[in-house]
Order: sequence, then structure tokens, then C-alpha cells
Amino acid sequence: MLYMYCSERVYEENVHTTHHIQYITFFDKSSYCDYQQCASLKLKCYISSHGISRVGRLGKYTLQNIKSKEIINMTNTETAQNGGASALPGMEEQLENMRVSGDGAPSEEDEDIVNPWTVCGKSDAGIDYDKLIKRFGCEKITPELVERLERITGKPAHPLLKRGIFFSHRDLKFILDRKEAGKPFYLYTGRGPSSHAMHLGHLVPFMFTKWLQEAFDVPLVIQLTDDEKFLWKNLTVEEAQKCAVENAKDIIACGFDKEKTFIFADFSYIGQCPAFYQNIALISRSITFNQAKGCFGFGDSDCIGKIHFPSIEAAPCFATSFPHIFKKRKDIPCLIPCAIDQDPYFRMTRDVSPKLGFHKPALMHSSFFPALQGAKTKMSASDENSAIFLTDTANQIKKKINKYAFSGGQTTVEEHRALGGNCDVDISYQYLRFFYEDDEKLAQIKEDYTSGKLLTGELKAILIAELQKLVAEIQLRRATVTDGVVEEFMTPRALKYNF
Amino acid sequence: MASNGQAEKVAEVEENVGDNGDTVTPWDVQSKSDKGIDYDKLIERFGCQRISDDLIQRIEKVIGQPVHPLLKRGIFFSHRDLEFILAQKEAGKPFYLYTGRGPSSESMHLGHLIPFVFTKWLQDAFDVPLVIQLTDDEKFLWKNLTIKETMKLAKENAKDIIACGFDLNKTFIFSNFRYIGQSPEFYQNIQLVAKNVTFNQAKGCFGFTESDSIGKIHFPSIEAAPSFSSSFPFIFGEDSNIPCLIPCAIDQDPFFRMTRDVAPRVGLHKPALIHSVFFPALQGAQSKMSASDETSAIFLTDTPEQIRTKITKYAFSGGQSTAEAQREKGANCEIDVTYQYLRFFYDDDEKLQEIKKDYTSGKLLTGELKKILIEHLQKMVADIQERRKKVTDETVDEFMKPRPLSYKY
Repeated sequence: MLYMYCSERVYEENVHTTHHIQYITFFDKSSYCDYQQCASLKLKCYISSHGISRVGRLGKYTLQNIKSKEIINMTNTETAQNGGASALPGMEEQLENMRVSGDGAPSEEDEDIVNPWTVCGKSDAGIDYDKLIKRFGCEKITPELVERLERITGKPAHPLLKRGIFFSHRDLKFILDRKEAGKPFYLYTGRGPSSHAMHLGHLVPFMFTKWLQEAFDVPLVIQLTDDEKFLWKNLTVEEAQKCAVENAKDIIACGFDKEKTFIFADFSYIGQCPAFYQNIALISRSITFNQAKGCFGFGDSDCIGKIHFPSIEAAPCFATSFPHIFKKRKDIPCLIPCAIDQDPYFRMTRDVSPKLGFHKPALMHSSFFPALQGAKTKMSASDENSAIFLTDTANQIKKKINKYAFSGGQTTVEEHRALGGNCDVDISYQYLRFFYEDDEKLAQIKEDYTSGKLLTGELKAILIAELQKLVAEIQLRRATVTDGVVEEFMTPRALKYNF
Repeated sequence: MASNGQAEKVAEVEENVGDNGDTVTPWDVQSKSDKGIDYDKLIERFGCQRISDDLIQRIEKVIGQPVHPLLKRGIFFSHRDLEFILAQKEAGKPFYLYTGRGPSSESMHLGHLIPFVFTKWLQDAFDVPLVIQLTDDEKFLWKNLTIKETMKLAKENAKDIIACGFDLNKTFIFSNFRYIGQSPEFYQNIQLVAKNVTFNQAKGCFGFTESDSIGKIHFPSIEAAPSFSSSFPFIFGEDSNIPCLIPCAIDQDPFFRMTRDVAPRVGLHKPALIHSVFFPALQGAQSKMSASDETSAIFLTDTPEQIRTKITKYAFSGGQSTAEAQREKGANCEIDVTYQYLRFFYDDDEKLQEIKKDYTSGKLLTGELKKILIEHLQKMVADIQERRKKVTDETVDEFMKPRPLSYKY
């Protein structure tokens, strides 16, 4: 079923402007189940019930200005890449909200499944991120944007950014503008704490966030959603809280600066800060069950805790949730580095923010860290052999890579020398893209593996050495993180920034 | 009649309107008949139990004093598990009281007073701690108010409540917007409940629909959480499981029906309840007093003149249209709002009996009846206003500070 809701307030506002454009946001449920409904039928029903005379559509469709009856041709690629060749002001922003899967939509077989609880690609090469960008309505991070970021921070971009692992964004330009103008912003990221140790896939957003924090020198808040895990899993409150503390240690071991970083777990922090709960209520009042259903696929047999939870992940987007850091400032926006499956939470938040007088959160999305078995799935903490854990020994790392890492090479040495390997599906190569810092050497490795000069075993050896080093460093730092250190990071306090 | 051991099923889909046309939900109470809500049918529909004379006698025995008129006269008329609470008291085991208010207006009216008057009596008779929840977040979610506004209302209402005479050493008052941010244990219990109530169940209990906000849908878990003593570790100690008794108007029952369904699944005591009927609006028993309708209610801020005017002008009369007709036929006490108000507030049983007799026979005229009520209410409201003056912001802060009470556990 297609769910749709209209950003009604936006519609009202525009009734009073010269541009009578209906903003309709479609959250297509193809992510979750059979893609059944025909969009144009729904659209017709909606149009007739709201008395709209013309249809506005995006993609291979056209927008029609209802008042002046002008036809504006707009395609997704135009808006995403050119920053919107728009005759109307604010069109870019409005078009972000305009998502229609119409008659020409791909059938279910072609669609990747991407939501906060399930990620499943259809092809061996993994998720089709270009399609996903179109579907979600975010924007690709272009080389120009990366260059601008380098200019502003005065540093070369992190490999994760340069290599397109962080590949899409919402409103990153707005954040860069602020930095140029000397205006503040903060970083917000998070983790759903699980009972297992973190794995390499979890590390990626934190590694990148740490780099962002250093490059921009801004405060960072990290949310541990122990209440989410409690609501979704068969855990007690105490168990969920304990997971949060353990995971906090892993996160701290990434090297975050205590003076600039506030880590909090919902089950503790909500009970320490009235302002946080007040923002949660503010947000939860502005989202209907229908909207939550459209965004996340909730149903009637879901518990009211789950249905309400999105407002809790949204609340850290508002600076007033952290009065000890930001005092009374309401106008400080945040930038959220996260994996793209978290986007629904913040799409929803971005819709609600202006109505509540806050900046929309900006986002930078990463692609998924593939499971050892191949790029069709993401690494999962619940599947031992799909992941390299931060608690793995050097030997375990060697074994897992050798045994389970999906190879894009040929079956025999001779064939491999002749035909070469396929880097796109080769997990070891893909992992190097995430963690191997030296650009030149990596390019060489790619060339040699593709040509067949480098064998799979040799490639794996390079990766194994790299990962053993990385994991050992983290384990060393982790050993110094005591419960006391965690408490320091998790105490609500002013950071080294003055507001 | 459900016994203590029997599970009470929370219907998956329930009608909030009974087949006699009575609507009773926490946010809407309406009856089609001019006699008001049919409470017998309601008890049956909700699955609670009438408070029998035997039960009243047992209470009197346990507390060693006569029960409050509100109980004797059947204004508090139904219950869940009250016997269990009496058994606790008899065995010297603890329990506590929990009641609350949705702070929707600056001033409370007489109808609001009832559960507090009765709760105070319960606290004195049983000598137990009391927690009072001000659901400012509920009002925020349901009304077009800002958070600041609802918190201010909560504080103002707290003053009215304190003016009922509660003991600082035995009473903790809290507003959700403040207390949730002061007590991790309270928030944890909220999610404990929220994990165990589906949207279907919430729909059945409260009539939610898919266009309701997720805030509203989640709210019942917040009104449920104070039923668990572990929400108040500074009073009861960590991880306690002390049962509570909830005096409330019967429209609040859905919250606690839901809570009683959740409690055994999470290993905690089911809350016990004691329900009151509705305090009728001045215009008649078809609706309940509403803070949003000026003329339907006597407010605690009303002047003696306002009280007189309102009763004289708006109180629905069960009497005849002329004095002669009255002397001849007499009046209908059941629908007469003035008489009903006396049942709520006039302490003297004997005198009240006499009044009933005389009014029914026609010996007493409507005007005379109203005079009795007016004088009584004027005095009562004046007393409260006097006490209210002494309640400062500091007093409120003291009541609202999380602190141990004068009980040890």
C-alpha cells in the first residue's frame, strides 16, 4: 500500500503566496512489503477530495502551478545535481518533499529494502545508491561539495568522504555556509546498543564523526537508544542500560574528546533533563500515527512504545534538548552523520522542525558496510560470521577474512592471473576502501587486483594486517576506558564551547 | 462478578459508547438521559464491582471510624480490588494512594474537588503516603497550549490541591513535564507499560484513531506508571512493589483497566481503584462539570455573589414551576442539581435526610433549598480560598520536591 500525507501547513502557507503548489509526500512502502498500489489512483483520490484542479508530479512527470497554470518541467536529476534549476524560490526545498512513485515505478523485484530495521539489496553489488537517493529525495555529495568542505576546513577530506562512502546529504551546504559565516552548529549521531560488541560496520559513522568533530571543531552529542532496544527486543530495562554503558566504552575508544562530546543513554538522560522530554512531547504532538506508519511501517499490533519512539530519536536534533551545553539557544542546527537506513527518522524530523521553529537537521549518509558474505546485506551484530567485532583477536580476524570474506577473484590462480578480480563485489577490496588510508596505494591495489597481478590471498593478507592493527589500537584504548570515564562522558555538563 | 484471581480481559475492540447511549472516556462524558449516566450499566460494561454495605462496614471496622459521607452516600460507588487493600491494612502491610488531575484551567471547580476531598479523608483514615500526578503533558498533547502554559497551570492547580489540606510529610505532588526529567525510574516504568500495550488495545480502551498523534497514543503509559511504587524510589526505596489504591472519577477507569492488564505480566501489583460518580453540571446531570464552560460550574475562585447567582440562575431544578404546584406534588430529588450538590457536600446525614423528605413532599421550596446550598458552598469556598492564600510558590516547590516522606520502608 502506498501511504501519503500532505504537509498541510506547507500547503496553507502557499495558499497565501503566489505559488499554489500542493506538496505531497509519498512514503512508498515498497521498502517493507509488496508494492501493490498504483500511485496515480491514490493521487486522483487525493486530488478530488482536496479540490485540486491539476496534478503535480515529479520525476518523469511535471509540476503545474495551479494558480497561473504554468507548466514547470522538473526532473529528479536536475534538482539533485544542479541544486534545482527552479523558477520558483524555495522550490528545491519543496521538491525534496515531493516524492511520487508513479506508474513507471520499478517493480518490487528491482527495489532494495532499506529501513531502520532491515537492509537487503537485490543484486550482488549491493544497494543501488543512486536509485536510493532518488527514492529518498536526498542529494548526492558532489566532488565540488567535497572541495568546498576541504577549503572551509583547511584539511583534505577524509577518505570515507573522498571515496564516496559518505555519499549523500541533506542541507550540507547550509552547514558549510554557517561555518563560513562563523555561526555555530553541532554534530549528532547515535547507536542502538546491542548486547554484542560493536563491529567494524558500527565503527564507520563514529570514525567519520570524529574526523568531522576535529575538522570543524564543534560539539558532538551521541545518543544511545537503550529504550529502543528495550522496546524492540526481549531485554529488561537493566539489560538494555548495561548494553548502553558497554557500547559507550567502545565508542569512547574511537578517541572522542571529552571536552567536546556528550554521550547519553535515553533511560538515564530523559530522567535527568526535563527539556529533553519536553522536546520529545513537542515532536510527538506533531506526528500522527498515519505519518509514523508511512515512515516506519508500524501496524495496529505494534506497542505504543514503538509507535512513539521516533520522537525520541528526533529530539536530539533540537539544541534545546541540551540546555547544559547550549544554554537557551534555540537556533543552533545540527549535522547528523549516519548510515542511510536512519534517514526516515530525520526525514520525519525535517518535516516537523520548521513548524516548531527549529532548523531542519542536516544529514550526511553513508553507504552500508557490507557483510563478510557479500554486499547484499549489512553487517549484523547478531550474526557472528558476518562481521569483524572489536573484540576479535588477531587470529579471529585472520580466520574470518580468509574463510568468509566473499571473493571477487577467480577460482584458480591461473584464471585469476588471466582474467583478474572484480573489485566491485570483492569484500576484501571493499573493506580496504573503508579503512586503508593511503589513496595512491589503494589505487595500485585496485589496478593490480583487477588485472590479476595481485592474488586474492595476497589482497586478503593486506586487509588482515590493516584490520589487526586497527582493532588492536581500539582494544588498547578500550582497556583504559573505565566505568568512571564513561560516567564523565555521560554527565550532563557544559562542554568547552560557550554559547 | 470478577474475583481477585480472575484475569480481567482488556477487550481488543471496545465500544466507548454503551448500548444505552452513554459515552464515558477520559476526554468525553455524555449521557442521553436527563437522569445522567446509568451507573449500574456502566459497572457491568467496565467489569468493576459495586461497593456493598458489607464492604463499607468492613472498612469502618478496619479504620475504626465511620466512613466519609461521600462513601456512605454512594458517591464513591464502585471499586476494583478494594478488598485486597483492606486485607493489606488488616495484615499491617503497606499500600499508598495515587490520584491526579489534568490541569486544564487556572481554577478548579467543585467537581474537581471531590476526589481530593475523599483522598484526603482516605489518607487520614489509613495513614498512608499519597502521590498526586498533574498531567500537564496530557493537556499539552490534547489542547492548543504551549509547554510553559501547561506547566504554569499545573503549578496553579497544585495550590488549589494543597489548599484542600494535604500533609506535606505524607504527600508528593508532581507534574509530568518536570518529574519525568527528574526520575529515570519513572521514565523506565513508562516504557515498561508502553512495551506491553498495543495500539489495538489503546484503540479499544480510549478510542484512538490513526490520525491521532503518537504523543496521545503513548500517553496512557504515563498515567499508568505512578501505579507502580518503583516510580518513586525516594519514597519507597529502590525496586519496590507496593500496591496502590486510586480514588478517581469513573471516566479514568480505562487507564487503570489497561494498567491492571499489564501489571501481572511485568510482575507488579495491580492497582486497586475506587470510583466516584460524576459531579453534575449546574444545568443537569446529562453532562459533567467542565472547566471550559463558565456557567456549568462553581469555581474555587468564585465570589459569594457569583455562587449565589450561579446556583439561583443555572442550577437545574427538580421542583415544580410554581409554589402551589410544588406544595402539592413535591420535587424530584434525583434530577434536582441543588439537592445532588448537597449530597456531595453537606456533611450532616440527619439534616440531609430531612431536607430530602421535605423537598420530595413539597414542604420545602426550590428557593429555600437553593438558599441552604448557597450558604453551605459560600462557606466552603471561602474556607478554601483562605487556605489557598497561604499557599505560596515555595509551598508548592516543597510539595513537588522528590524527597522521602514520613514513612519508612
